[in-house]
Amino acid sequence: MTKRAAIIWAISCLVWASCTQQRQPCLTPKIASLILETMHITNDTGTIFVDTALPSGTFIPFTDSSSFRITSLLSSTFTISLSPDAATCRWAIATDTTSTVFDTLTFHYKTNLQFLSNACGYADFYNLDTVQTTHKFIDSVRIINSTVNNNVNTKHVQVYIHPDF
Amino acid sequence: MYRYIYILIFSVLVVCCSQHSFAQVNGTTVTGYPTVPDTLVVINSNATDSNAHIKKKDLAGHQLAIGVDLVSPITNALVSDKFGYEFEADYYLRNEFYLVAEGGWGGSNVNYTDLKYTTTNPFFRFGFNKTMLVRDNPKDWDMMLIGLRLGYANINKNPATYLITDSTWGNVSGSRPGTSINAVWLEVTGGMRVEFIKNVFAGWNIRGKFMMDGKSFANDAPLFIAGYGKGDKNAVFDFNLYISYAIRWDRKNMASAKPKR
Repeated sequence: MTKRAAIIWAISCLVWASCTQQRQPCLTPKIASLILETMHITNDTGTIFVDTALPSGTFIPFTDSSSFRITSLLSSTFTISLSPDAATCRWAIATDTTSTVFDTLTFHYKTNLQFLSNACGYADFYNLDTVQTTHKFIDSVRIINSTVNNNVNTKHVQVYIHPDF
Repeated sequence: MYRYIYILIFSVLVVCCSQHSFAQVNGTTVTGYPTVPDTLVVINSNATDSNAHIKKKDLAGHQLAIGVDLVSPITNALVSDKFGYEFEADYYLRNEFYLVAEGGWGGSNVNYTDLKYTTTNPFFRFGFNKTMLVRDNPKDWDMMLIGLRLGYANINKNPATYLITDSTWGNVSGSRPGTSINAVWLEVTGGMRVEFIKNVFAGWNIRGKFMMDGKSFANDAPLFIAGYGKGDKNAVFDFNLYISYAIRWDRKNMASAKPKR
């Protein structure tokens, strides 16, 4: 009887310990990422290829905190975010940190509040409507996937660098 | 959906197999102890041997057991973000089948830095238990059981407040309105119950719980559903310790079944 009682209590303690775990860790991204891919159009043939020539692509958001910027060396893929508090946001883009030539990307979108889990809480996802750009060195932009969520493997916008740049 | 069908079929097969195997053991002598037959055999004198009519009579009488879960109050005292209370009642039908009804209430209090809300819900479970132990005599009510339940809970999720941390654009906070969520789940249970004092049982149950149609509230899953467990899991395991009191009647049959010494 004592042995049986000990087994029962041991099982009870194990189950209770497993049920009283604190908040589980959040294992998914909590910020929706908009992934840009820079492309290049050659003048003569019109062949499109992924541009890896941006020596130090720099993205600066138009926010109150002017010090924030994203810079990637020799990269054609850039991850930025959209403002959850507005239906429009703007980013300045330069091909190099030393460059004084900037283009501006303006994103228009709708915001959807999404419950991720009790471990992660809520996040804002987006549906891209349009993307506008200035044309100092950017030829055009194209939305290839309008759903912006926490999937970090989906590219959303292609940015075509001007052939003469 | 197929998963639930497989679980149901498996459970029915286990119950049927156990009933068949124990039917062959009844009325025999096991480990030297005389057993009391719980069947009354009536042979029609007008019939031949091949069509002898065998009529079974259950001598165990009636039993209604009402119990309370002891794990819930212990957990309530030690954990701050959820609470629950749970009761159970079972009634002996026949052939070692028990009709079971369970119920209770509880809730959760989510108080994280980025997410705050509370929930409350009552819950009900209905189903059956089948004991796997062969009775020593009709007064023997100890059980080693398996069972199946269908559970239901109506969860009242109160308005939630949230905070989204964004280092680029700044933090965003807001609130979401309260909702009412219905949850239905299937349970497979196993355990034991021993009468340690006359008419008083102690026992435990292990439960595998499988949410049905959990996707319907996946975007608003509560942290905790009393009677089920973690609201954002489609399959959970649970454990109960019950103490029960049994009410018995129809003692005439039991008295007549006393073994002759």
